[in-house]
Amino acid sequence: MSKSELNAVRLGLIWRRLDGIVDQVAETFLRAAFSVVVRDNYDMAFSLFDSQGRQLTQSKRSIPSFLGTLPRTLEAVLEKFPVDKLSPGDVIISNNAWIGTGHLNDISMVHPIFRGDKLVAFAASTAHTVDIGGAPSPTAKDCYEEGLCIPICKIVVAGEDNTTVMDFLTENLRQPDETLGDVRAQFAAYRDCNTKLMLLLDEEGLDDLIPVADEIIARSEQSMRAAIAALPDGTYSDGFDIDGVDVPLRIECQVTIAGDELTVDFAGTSPQVPWPINSVLNYTQAYARYAVKCLVDPDAPNNAGSLAPVHIKAPVGSLLNATPPAPVWGRHLSGHYVPPAIIGAMAPIMADKVVAESGSPLWNVYFAGRYDDGDKKNGTGNYVKMFFMNGGHGARSKGDGPGCLSFPSNVSNQPIEAFEHQVPMLVREKSFIPDSGGTGKYRGGNAQRLVFEARSENPITMTIRHERISYPARGLLGGAPGRAGIDQINGQTIPAKSRSELKSGDQVVFETPGGGGLYPPEERDDALINHDLESGLTTTDASREAYGHE
Amino acid sequence: MSSAGTSAGIETASDDWRVGVDIGGTFTDVVLWREGSENLVQVKLLTTPDDPSRAVLDGVGQALDRAGINARQLTSVVHGTTLVANALIERKGVTTGLITTAGFRDVLEIGREWRYDLFNLDIEMPTPLVPRRLCLEIDERVDANGAVDTPLNLDQLPALIKAFRAAEVRSIGVCLLHAYLNPAHEQAIGAALAEAMPDVTISLSSDVSPEMGEYERTSTTVANAYVHPLFRDYVERLVAALDQLGYARELLLVLSDGRGIAADVAVKYPIRLVQSGPAAGAEAARLFGELAKQNDILCFDMGGTTAKACLIHDGEPERTVNFEVARETRFAEGSGLPLLIPAIDMIEIGAGGGSIARVDQRGLLQVGPHSAGADPGPACYGAGNEHPTVTDCDLLLGYLDENAFLGGKMVLDREAATKAVQTHLADPLGISAIEAAWGVHETVTANMAQAATIHAIERGLDATRFAMLPIGGAGPVHACSMAQKMNITRLVCPAGAGVASAIGMLAAAVSFEIGRAAPSPIATLDFAKAAGLLRDMASEAAAMVSSAGANEGEVTETFSAMMRYLGQGYEIEVPVTLAMIEAEDSEALLENFANSYRDRYGRSEAMPAELLSWRLAVTGQRSTLGETLGKRTDGPTEAPVAKGKRPVWFGDSFVDTPVYKRADISKGSEIEGPAIIEEVESTLVLPTGFNLHVDDAMNLILDATS
Repeated sequence: MSKSELNAVRLGLIWRRLDGIVDQVAETFLRAAFSVVVRDNYDMAFSLFDSQGRQLTQSKRSIPSFLGTLPRTLEAVLEKFPVDKLSPGDVIISNNAWIGTGHLNDISMVHPIFRGDKLVAFAASTAHTVDIGGAPSPTAKDCYEEGLCIPICKIVVAGEDNTTVMDFLTENLRQPDETLGDVRAQFAAYRDCNTKLMLLLDEEGLDDLIPVADEIIARSEQSMRAAIAALPDGTYSDGFDIDGVDVPLRIECQVTIAGDELTVDFAGTSPQVPWPINSVLNYTQAYARYAVKCLVDPDAPNNAGSLAPVHIKAPVGSLLNATPPAPVWGRHLSGHYVPPAIIGAMAPIMADKVVAESGSPLWNVYFAGRYDDGDKKNGTGNYVKMFFMNGGHGARSKGDGPGCLSFPSNVSNQPIEAFEHQVPMLVREKSFIPDSGGTGKYRGGNAQRLVFEARSENPITMTIRHERISYPARGLLGGAPGRAGIDQINGQTIPAKSRSELKSGDQVVFETPGGGGLYPPEERDDALINHDLESGLTTTDASREAYGHE
Repeated sequence: MSSAGTSAGIETASDDWRVGVDIGGTFTDVVLWREGSENLVQVKLLTTPDDPSRAVLDGVGQALDRAGINARQLTSVVHGTTLVANALIERKGVTTGLITTAGFRDVLEIGREWRYDLFNLDIEMPTPLVPRRLCLEIDERVDANGAVDTPLNLDQLPALIKAFRAAEVRSIGVCLLHAYLNPAHEQAIGAALAEAMPDVTISLSSDVSPEMGEYERTSTTVANAYVHPLFRDYVERLVAALDQLGYARELLLVLSDGRGIAADVAVKYPIRLVQSGPAAGAEAARLFGELAKQNDILCFDMGGTTAKACLIHDGEPERTVNFEVARETRFAEGSGLPLLIPAIDMIEIGAGGGSIARVDQRGLLQVGPHSAGADPGPACYGAGNEHPTVTDCDLLLGYLDENAFLGGKMVLDREAATKAVQTHLADPLGISAIEAAWGVHETVTANMAQAATIHAIERGLDATRFAMLPIGGAGPVHACSMAQKMNITRLVCPAGAGVASAIGMLAAAVSFEIGRAAPSPIATLDFAKAAGLLRDMASEAAAMVSSAGANEGEVTETFSAMMRYLGQGYEIEVPVTLAMIEAEDSEALLENFANSYRDRYGRSEAMPAELLSWRLAVTGQRSTLGETLGKRTDGPTEAPVAKGKRPVWFGDSFVDTPVYKRADISKGSEIEGPAIIEEVESTLVLPTGFNLHVDDAMNLILDATS
């Protein structure tokens, strides 16, 4: 075995250990977390960067977009606090939408890791907070209405809490125990990350991560370039309408492959709107790169190298590159359309790798109010809780789309039993909707129906912002679309972006959108058709109509 | 030590004869021990997959014959098995039904809606153990306070029963919302089902796993149901057969956390036995590590089908709360079936001796995951398998002796092994058979070294500081090579490594852990009520362990509280005493919590805390096996003399290597590598660069010299 091969073996080992460390550290965060949205929905990400700010690896439990937005967040942090302004034990915080994940509800933090006096790495993480103060609403007209913007600042200075920042947050948040509890849980995770990383450096006899990072990044870039080069040069495009708020909007996407470089351009997409559904460029880029990675080079690691040959553009002032002070609270309502647009454009040249559209943008609902028994449950007596519900996953090139599986986000559900401990409601139903997946050789995943019943003397304020009511998830390459979504209170359909007051006994029904089908239904295997009939995921009538199956 | 040794003539020996029996995928191991004696009678024989109890009876019979006693003289039989795990992995359980609260029949298939691999668009989600058509609903509802919102409508049950009968369902799981708080509806359904379907086994979630979280609890409950009748029938057959042999006492079974419990309790919760045998292996490693005065042990268990690793840190095996079986994607957390059971943290790190090696589409050597199992087994077993396995390669490399395998009871077919390696590996790769065999050996050990290192690192532990303790038939063959790759410099090789799980069963104490949900903020905790609950738990658990033969005076109780800060979702285990609760000492309770929290997270918070549940572990006295083995007086006193030499491949060429019988190696003697040390059930390969000496407990201690 030659020396370089030995190096490859050692590199592989260090690489996998870095992955392992980040997963373990993320687990520390999840276990110490105070919010359901972090610990049960996994609405978070944890990532490791080298001392030059190059992304190396990330936790498996991550929101794909957060991974893509963190590099820019770190860059902005370093613009304000260059390395010589950083000390061991510092933690820098911000939730600025334009340098972060596109809305104020995701708080990002960066922790420089020193070995002695020498900066060797950055741990960075993002976590969703359900409340960020202010009055975010489906009718917000600018980003100032949407809550508190935390400028880039040190929340921990050389190991000591910055009480000014802590006090500002405590005074402005409805659930400070929960939000700051999550923040402190990340402090515990950073400490864990420090310990584990030092152990690795000591054991491997490394001064810092740079030589390892150089190798990791170079190899990942090579892998991505080779994968892009294997695709035929050309420009491929897709475009479609989306629900919007008052009028339908348009997403346009051109993918250009030239040698080993790939460029995505969203020219032609609708201009930004005075509704909180605009995506900032950082968020658009994150999801675009994620989609390219999934399609073109899924097996290689995800880091600064794999992103290098991929370029993302969107017109300034458009829905996918909104400028301040655009309202951005529900930026996923446009941003989650980025992956299907890219996949749709590339479908003709990657017919055996694509996935049909999923029942997303991700659906969620906010329930806010005061507990009937006042402040017994928590410090303030206020609650603001979210509930996530995924639609059907799009059909895949090798099989049916799974029912209710998150894509392109990766937000888990939360146990109903845990939800009912936090919000004065009963969930009466959470089950698959038969026939909701689009038909095809492979059918889309089934959507779900949820029934909530209000059980509180105090009113419950319910806020929703849902998509795919007018335009369901498309099928691809001959597959049929999935079923559109439905929102109802006491049997009456309500607008998909709206706020309502619920009184005790009110029943709310949500039916998420189904996934699209892939390839023509005539090609579907009889065994699959029978299996669906037996399970009841497809009804006899629907099966007869789609597949001519008796 | 001779495997056929008897314990006659040892003065300290009592009349307590104990048997440990471990069934693995390939081999069944039996160890017979007379309390106080230094000698263990060890038997290893092929597992009989069609009826596993056959090999058990055969093995126990052989052991009794060798010791010259009969089954009536046995005071205990302790048993561990992979039956439960295999039934889940191979989906060979019974047709199972599920009853859920109306509106929630899809809880299993919906799962957590989370992708365990971010970038792979084609991931497979685990197929539920109960098909959707057999997930049926009943009207009822308990709320988050445990109060009944909708009364149970038992009138609907006959229709469900009819559907289950039509589908020939043999086992039913019942998991209703919030049943961990109020089990009344589950219990009423259970009673009605038992009457209407007496042949069907019933698993209630409030019994199997009374924890919050409907998906994980349902998953655990149906997994229990899925294997329930198989396991019950198996245990019944075994008890009957042991009875026929003349054994009159209780059969004990080993749980996934290494504890031993009476068979009649265990058959209700078969899912708790999913990791039964390997957990006993970890118990054995703890015992031998203690004897060798090593507190930090990496237990490396390589059998015929899989290799597993477990870390014993400060003398205690690491434990887990995230247990998963039957993963869709090997090593991918989140791709399997979650189980809420107490378990020793053990990960699969690779293939076993029977794993098949092949050349993949990229032209690279791959080993596993397919295994030749016990039947037909490796090519060299001569039972019809033509594909090369790890064991075949070990034979070609000279690590195994075709005439000394299992003490010469089984003659290995060298020609068949050579042909398999030549045809399927050497020819496609264009190299010699010996180079291919070496490549397989290196691949297997490198993969395991990497997986074990990461396992340790992920737990924040530095594997290089651990001593490796290899067990399982194939463990000692691969241990030194793996240790070198992990920079581990010390190995502890106990006698009987090949049957260590069975030995661990003899070492394990009778023990059981129970939990009771009792959510309350500490500020408003009703201490008097809590003390009453703890006393009830103590008497319930004591009854369980005494039915398993533990003496009342020897039972120790360890209470703990599962606590967290108000608003958190995961709790940590906090040590408590009954006296502390009876004294209503909330300060001490909170202080213990803060200490435990700091241990885990490096900080504590100035926030109110809450209690989720009480736990109690009741443990009978540990057996004296450790003490006895620690002061061995038996064995030879002469310097060891090699029984011969044979050519062994260590990477570059064949080296003429001395071969010792382990039974000939005396206490205090030293051997320099390269050497081969043969025991009946396993072979230790000692390459150049390792020296061996023998400690007082007759462990072989291997130290790296470079």
